[in-house]
Amino acid sequence: MTKWVRYTLPAAAIVSIASPAYSMQYLSIAEAQKQAFPSATSFSEVQAGRVWKAEAGGRAVGFFIFDRVVGKHLLIDYAVALTPAGAVHSVEILQYRESYGGEIRSASWLAQFVGKTGGSPLKINGDIRNIAGATLSSTHVTEGVKRVLSAYGNRLR
Amino acid sequence: MAIDCGNIRRAKPLLGTFVEIQASGASEADVNAGIDAAFDAVAKVHRLMSFHEPDSDVSRLNQFASSHPVSVDPWTYEVLRIAIELHFRSRGAFDITIAPVLQALGLLPGPGEGSRDVPRARTAHQVELLGDRLVRFSGPGIGIDLGGIAKGFAVDRALDALHGFGIANGLVNAGGDLAAFGPDPQTVSIRNPVDPQKFMCGIRIRNEALASSARRFDPFRSDETTNSAIIDPITSEPACAIQGTTVRAPSCVIADALTKIVMIAGTSAADLLEHYRAGALLVLADGDIQISSDLKDQVSLAA
Repeated sequence: MTKWVRYTLPAAAIVSIASPAYSMQYLSIAEAQKQAFPSATSFSEVQAGRVWKAEAGGRAVGFFIFDRVVGKHLLIDYAVALTPAGAVHSVEILQYRESYGGEIRSASWLAQFVGKTGGSPLKINGDIRNIAGATLSSTHVTEGVKRVLSAYGNRLR
Repeated sequence: MAIDCGNIRRAKPLLGTFVEIQASGASEADVNAGIDAAFDAVAKVHRLMSFHEPDSDVSRLNQFASSHPVSVDPWTYEVLRIAIELHFRSRGAFDITIAPVLQALGLLPGPGEGSRDVPRARTAHQVELLGDRLVRFSGPGIGIDLGGIAKGFAVDRALDALHGFGIANGLVNAGGDLAAFGPDPQTVSIRNPVDPQKFMCGIRIRNEALASSARRFDPFRSDETTNSAIIDPITSEPACAIQGTTVRAPSCVIADALTKIVMIAGTSAADLLEHYRAGALLVLADGDIQISSDLKDQVSLAA
C-alpha cells in the first residue's frame, strides 16, 4: 500500500545545494571529428578553428563545422558534419555551459568539473552528476544548424 | 580481449531537447557503436512520433485515421497501446487526444490556435487499435499528441540498443526523462520546480527510470516558471495544484506518462503508481514535499 510522507524543506537546505552554473564537456573537436567521419585519414582546416575538410585517401568524405550558440543563459558548442554534397550528416554537442547571470556562487558544485575534459575518463558512477527536472530547449542549436547549412551547404566543395 | 574503455558521454539535439547518452564497460569501439545505435533509436522515435514532422506516424494518423485505417510502425503501435491503457487506468487523466485542446490553447501549432472555444479531450477510447499495426479514429475532429509519453519510450529503446552491444553500464537522459542500467547505482540531481536554478534533492536509481514534470521552465527565455504546460484533459485547464513531480518506475515510458497523471491527480494517483510498481515525489503548492513511502529511502533531500 502506497503511503505518502510529507516534508517541509527549510529554505536553507535548498540553498545549500544550489547550483547556479553547470557545465559539461562531451567531446573535443578532434574526438567529434573522428566520431563524425571514422574513415577519414586527415582533417585539413578550410577556415581557421571553424571548418575542416575530412579526407580519406585524398578523397573528400565530408566537412566538419564547429559553431557556438548563445542563449540567455546557455552557451553551447556543437559541430555539424556535412556530406561532400552539403547535406547534414550528423550533429553533436561538444560542450554545454549553463550559467545564470554569470554568477558562480557554489564553488563545491563547480569543483566536480575541474579537470574533466573530454580526454579524462570518467567513472560511470558519476563524478559528474546527472540532472533532471527541466527540459532544456534545443531550439537554438536547431536554428544554428540551419544557419550553418545555409552558410556552408552550397559553398564547400 | 579488448580492454574496457572509460565512460563515454555524448549528447545530441533530439526530441526538442538534448539527449545525453553515457556508457561504459565494453571496448571503446563497442561503446561508441552502442551509443550511435542508441541515438539512432531516439532519432527513429522522433521521426515516427513528432507532432511537427509532416511525415510522422502521428501526422499521418491525425490527417487520415478519421477516414480510414492507417498502418503505423510497431513502435508507434506499442506507444498507442500503452497510452490507451494508461487512459483507462487513470480515469481519463492521461489522454493523447489532448492535441486539439493544446492547439486551441496555443501550445501546439494548428488550425484551432488561439481559439476561444477550447474543445474537450477524453476521447482516447476513440483511438482504435485494429491489430496488424492498423489504427483508426472512430470519429472526426480527433487529433493525438504523443508528447507526454514518446520521450520516455525513446529512452527505453535507446537503453535496449546499448544492451545489444554488451555494454555493462548505461544511462540515457532525454531532457530530464532518464533511465539507467548496470550494477552501480546512479544519483540524479532534481531541480527545484519552484526555482529551477537550484537543486532540491538527489535520487539514487539502479536499473530503473526516473521522469520529471514541472510547471513550464524555459531557460532560454526567462528564469521565471510560468503556467503549467500540463493540461488537465477533464477540465481543459492547466494543472496547478502540484508544482512539480518526479516519478520512478521500471521503464521510462511509464515514468514519463505517470508524471503527467501525478501533476493532475496528485496523491490520489497512489493506486495507479502501485499498479505500475512506481513511486513519486511531489512538490506541493506551498513548497512542501510529499514522497511515496517506497521511494523515500532513495531520496536525499539535502546534500
